[in-house]
Amino acid sequence: MAQLKPGEVSLGTTIMAVQFEGGVVVGADSRTTTGTYIANRVTDKLTKVHDRIYCCRSGSAADTQAVADIVAYHLELYTAQHGKEPTVKVAASLFQQLCYENKNRLSAGIIIAGWDKVEGSSVYEIPLGGSIHKQPFALGGSGSVFIYGYCDKNFQLNMSKEECIEFVKNSVSLAMTRDGSSGGVIRLAVITEDNVERLLVTGDKLPEQYLG
Amino acid sequence: MSIMEYNGSAVVAMKGNNCVAIAADKRLGQRQMTIDTDFQKVFPITERTYVGLAGLATDVKTLHDRFRMRVNLYKHREERVIEPKTFANLVSHMLYEHRFGSYFVEPVIAGLDKDDQPFICNMDNIGCIDLADNFIVSGTAGENLYGTCESLWEPGLEPEELFETISQALLNAVDRDSMSGWGAVVHIITPSGVITRELKSRMD
Repeated sequence: MAQLKPGEVSLGTTIMAVQFEGGVVVGADSRTTTGTYIANRVTDKLTKVHDRIYCCRSGSAADTQAVADIVAYHLELYTAQHGKEPTVKVAASLFQQLCYENKNRLSAGIIIAGWDKVEGSSVYEIPLGGSIHKQPFALGGSGSVFIYGYCDKNFQLNMSKEECIEFVKNSVSLAMTRDGSSGGVIRLAVITEDNVERLLVTGDKLPEQYLG
Repeated sequence: MSIMEYNGSAVVAMKGNNCVAIAADKRLGQRQMTIDTDFQKVFPITERTYVGLAGLATDVKTLHDRFRMRVNLYKHREERVIEPKTFANLVSHMLYEHRFGSYFVEPVIAGLDKDDQPFICNMDNIGCIDLADNFIVSGTAGENLYGTCESLWEPGLEPEELFETISQALLNAVDRDSMSGWGAVVHIITPSGVITRELKSRMD
């Protein structure tokens, strides 16, 4: 697996995606670092690859942007070639192929989530080696290690859309406090059959937590 | 990651009209993980001299203890309180004693001398004193602090104006550094006393 090269921009980050009946909620922090310098403090790590399919990017900013662009290109062509919209599974498979075949050269941890007519809502995680994991919820990035306990305790299957939004907000906020590579604002996207709703939670509106 | 970046820090001092200000962040980290948001980096040496220590946290604690002992001994022998310039030379000497196995700390000293004249300086890790007329920066957010201080500082600021200036300089500099922030403390040293305030900052 490739290490970040000196000077390369890193999405040291906290990303997560949660599935609910009728859609998914994806969330991320907004910090991009070059070493210790915060190169962008309002980054959008939630990238659209198709109308109802989003990916959350962590690792090398360059690698994940390049891979996401290639997948978006293929998905755009898919409808013309196949006569139907691509499923989240197809998008995740495309990501996997790129991440696995180039595993020695890429530093990319990606979460794919979205809605399609076949499966409804799905969440897939593709960590560093290029393996693929379908899960009800997924965590990624350097900040995720701080919230595994919290998420394992607080996640429940069949939560409502509002409960999922609160769950993602609280988790990402906790990770941002502890992880130096995560911070800024919390960006959320709620993907359902009907539309994609983008939400922003600024620093002053973060959930209450013990801060010493 | 260099040893000076391991714990993360941001320290800044500014001169004003018959006053000085010194401020620092409150984060203690271990590489990327934050483990304390109330870590003290600025210490009173006398009632009118403060020292801010940026760098490796274990050396920050150790050096503070060593300074305390040396300053107390000075007070007993000289029967007077140490002046900021003298303290700066003391620190410089103590650091150079470890020239080939140094403390990983870059101190910032701010104080008022016996004639109420402001004094600020900083040093590298082996004690080279850098005197300044305007402001002094140190820590992982040092480069960022140069930018904010250069644009915000002007000569002849009164204590309350100096407080606003140094607070904004620190807060906006640490917001661009992933290793510092998570709270801040500011001390304004005037002939009539020291005003200490905690700043409400981003906790990321």
